[in-house]
Amino acid sequence: MNADLFARLFAAFGLLAAAAAAAPLVARKRRAAGAVALALVSGAAALLLSVSAEALFGPAGPALRTVALGPVAVPFLVDGVSAVFLAVIALMAVASALYSIRYMDHYPEYGLGGYYLCYPLFVLGMAALVTVDDLALGFSLAWQVMTVASFFLVRFERRKAENRRSAAKYLVLMEAAWVLVVAAAFLVDGYRFGQPLAEIASGLRATGALPSAAFFGLLLVGFGLKAGVWPLGQLWLPDAHSIAPSPVSALLSGVMIKTGVYGLLRTFLFMPPAGEGAFDGRAWGLVVAAVGAVTLLVGTVQSMKQSDAKRLLAYSSIGQVGYIVLATGAALYLGTTGAPALRLLAVAAAVGALFHFLNHAVFKGLLFLTSGSILYATGTKDLNRLGGLIRLMPVSAAVAGVASLSISGMPPFSGFSSKWTIVASNVLAGGSFAAHKATVALVLFGVVALFTSVVTLACYVKFFGMAFTSSGAERHAPGPIREVPGSMLAPKIALAAVALAQGLFPALSVGLALAALGRSEGFLLAGAMTAPSGPFAASALGVGLPAFGAAAAPLVVLLLVGSALALGALLRRAGGAKRVEAPTWLCGYQELNEANRYADRGMFAALRGLFKFAGGKSGK
Amino acid sequence: MSVAAVFVNVLLFLLLAPLFEGVMRRITARVQSRQGPPLVQPYFDLLKLLGKDRVDSARNWAFRLAPPAAFASILAVAALVPLGSKVNALGARVDAVTIVYLLTLGGVAVLLGALASRNTFAAIGASRETVTMVMVEPVLAMTLLVGAARGRSLGLGAAVFGGSAAGYGLSTAVMLAAYAVALQAFAAKQPFDIPEAEIEVLEGAFIEYSGPDYALFRYYVMMKRMVYAWLFAAVFLPFLRTGTYAGDILTQLLGTLAVFALVALVGSTNPRLRIDQAVKVYAGLIVVALTAVGLAVAGL
Repeated sequence: MNADLFARLFAAFGLLAAAAAAAPLVARKRRAAGAVALALVSGAAALLLSVSAEALFGPAGPALRTVALGPVAVPFLVDGVSAVFLAVIALMAVASALYSIRYMDHYPEYGLGGYYLCYPLFVLGMAALVTVDDLALGFSLAWQVMTVASFFLVRFERRKAENRRSAAKYLVLMEAAWVLVVAAAFLVDGYRFGQPLAEIASGLRATGALPSAAFFGLLLVGFGLKAGVWPLGQLWLPDAHSIAPSPVSALLSGVMIKTGVYGLLRTFLFMPPAGEGAFDGRAWGLVVAAVGAVTLLVGTVQSMKQSDAKRLLAYSSIGQVGYIVLATGAALYLGTTGAPALRLLAVAAAVGALFHFLNHAVFKGLLFLTSGSILYATGTKDLNRLGGLIRLMPVSAAVAGVASLSISGMPPFSGFSSKWTIVASNVLAGGSFAAHKATVALVLFGVVALFTSVVTLACYVKFFGMAFTSSGAERHAPGPIREVPGSMLAPKIALAAVALAQGLFPALSVGLALAALGRSEGFLLAGAMTAPSGPFAASALGVGLPAFGAAAAPLVVLLLVGSALALGALLRRAGGAKRVEAPTWLCGYQELNEANRYADRGMFAALRGLFKFAGGKSGK
Repeated sequence: MSVAAVFVNVLLFLLLAPLFEGVMRRITARVQSRQGPPLVQPYFDLLKLLGKDRVDSARNWAFRLAPPAAFASILAVAALVPLGSKVNALGARVDAVTIVYLLTLGGVAVLLGALASRNTFAAIGASRETVTMVMVEPVLAMTLLVGAARGRSLGLGAAVFGGSAAGYGLSTAVMLAAYAVALQAFAAKQPFDIPEAEIEVLEGAFIEYSGPDYALFRYYVMMKRMVYAWLFAAVFLPFLRTGTYAGDILTQLLGTLAVFALVALVGSTNPRLRIDQAVKVYAGLIVVALTAVGLAVAGL
């Protein structure tokens, strides 16, 4: 029954390999190479999406298949969780490939052969990584293809020494992460090289306390390095993401670091041995949740301090991954308490992790494409040399506004419902304090997450404010600033539409996450997902946790704010006021110029002082 | 659970916010040995502003969108809150977390307008406004969380009234202290009126706005003050509860009036702090509020 599914999966891999072979051949014609890559990547993406749809909604359950690579058997698994990741990889790969065609005109001094060789391989590596089911040969091949291809993509502007250095650092750390993960498996009792994950998980039951703790510890560090959790992410992520060409940055932040999240989800929500054993799920849950809470606070505060647009976005990716890691840890803790109410919240937290992953992939990809558009149009990504693009690049500005509001979690935009799920599942855990004292820590993490989302807002007020509103870009740009071409706008508009839909209809994403978790064997909380929608009440208006009085209803908010907006607009016209134009008023003495611009170092100065401990230098 | 209650909320907030503002101005004037404007002066101000020219120095959509967006987001909050101790038809569809995020949305509109106006003073005001928002919104969030923890629900009724419904807990008392100080910042009054600081950054964020745009922003500020003052009365003053809808509306509005008087008195007798000083006070408030949440989770 599953032959068809795997035939399509491997056909998609084949198409990606073909893209890597074909596109560089025509690299002399830069746009033609881009078009070839786009066509083949789109074909592969269509196949991946069909695989994903079948795994999530088709009649068959999770599909396992072993493929012989020479003498070694490599197990592949397509279940609900890998299906969600495959779908996001497919979507973002097409958006970035379309964007690349014109964007790469921006680097006339570099040939594109290497770029179009590595781009499809990078996508191939990611797609393979979320479908292989071992920690041995298959995992290593996928990891290496992904890592080496992305290394060359990050290193694209190789004539700058600092870029070569940053890329080398990226490669070394990712290889270290690979060693940690592959080595960890040998700690498991009765481990045989090439074993599927489910067998490793059952081997864990017989493993002693110390090796088991080391196993989980090594995987946390290994996948944590990839996902970018504090303090490991700070070592490589901002450098690598800010020097890569923007479509690649979009893939790095939107998808690639999420393969680390995928690893963490698999490790902590699928591998823990069921029942009592050497594994202390509560302690590990708290550790992972604490790592997530620190990551989200520190990453976001550091993001606020940046003056380089892409570094700001990169640090903010660390912060947003923190939300997902926090949710994963909370799900593990709550899921192993055994209390029925907490197990419901655990499902909510696990859904929140996937939900925020879905949202973040789209809006962060969109934000990196936006920063690419800014770079393309103005030649700089320094926020101090930008400003006023809202009139020069109106479509990009509107799209950037949607993405900024989404990541800040403003209702009814997309970050709101996923952050709501994560915050609510954490703070509501406090209700069971009498039996489980450690839930107070989760409440604290939930408050930190709430606080951090206001800091996130500050980051994006700064990003949008200094790039698109205020003024100044014209004074620095070498030539006239124009809106980017249509083929760069199209993927951004499409992603913005997806982000808006995700925001307005959270029930869709929650349904997707529930289907993903429900259709994955070995899920820690499978027993708690009795009702088809788990602990959620989902309707067209929004989602809620009815047992806890919690509800997020973006459509209700939209309706309400929309009608109030209409009333406000009516009121504004009620007095028959006339609109007149006048220059900006600066006390009558000066005109707006570079000398009286409010520079980045003044922005939020008091907050930076308060958060000195978080570190994060503000770029060059 | 009625739809009519939504309209009662909207009407009462729209109609009474300027009156409370008038009371505040009157009290401030009396403290400063002035006669003060008539109580209805804020209504006249709004009406007058609605007929004046809209001076547009920015010429972009963000600048034009910001004033009605700010007005709309605070009006949405006003429509949702459980005025009269009754969760209305729309309020039942959302929860405390939604209210927290919606309140920030109004702040976002102010910031967007300020930065879109291209004015340097506005940018300074926006920066200060953001810092204030980052540091005091958590206090509001935690106020609702104390109620939620004690009432074991994120629903609006539990979040607002849970803190004192089953007796006045230690957590509610601790939270009261933090909220009372933060209230001056919520209301943008001395010693925390740093973002607007008329004589320093010329009303900061609002400097480029005039006529009906400015009227909408003023209206936004008045209603925002009323929301926060009402919340104080509803959360921390359980003796205002009469048991009937109309009675509770009346007592809560009287409580709101008293809170406004207090804010005006504190505001008119304190000097403005610098933003870096204020941030340290806010950090202290966050710690106090976190303690309160911890206590509430522990059932105290």
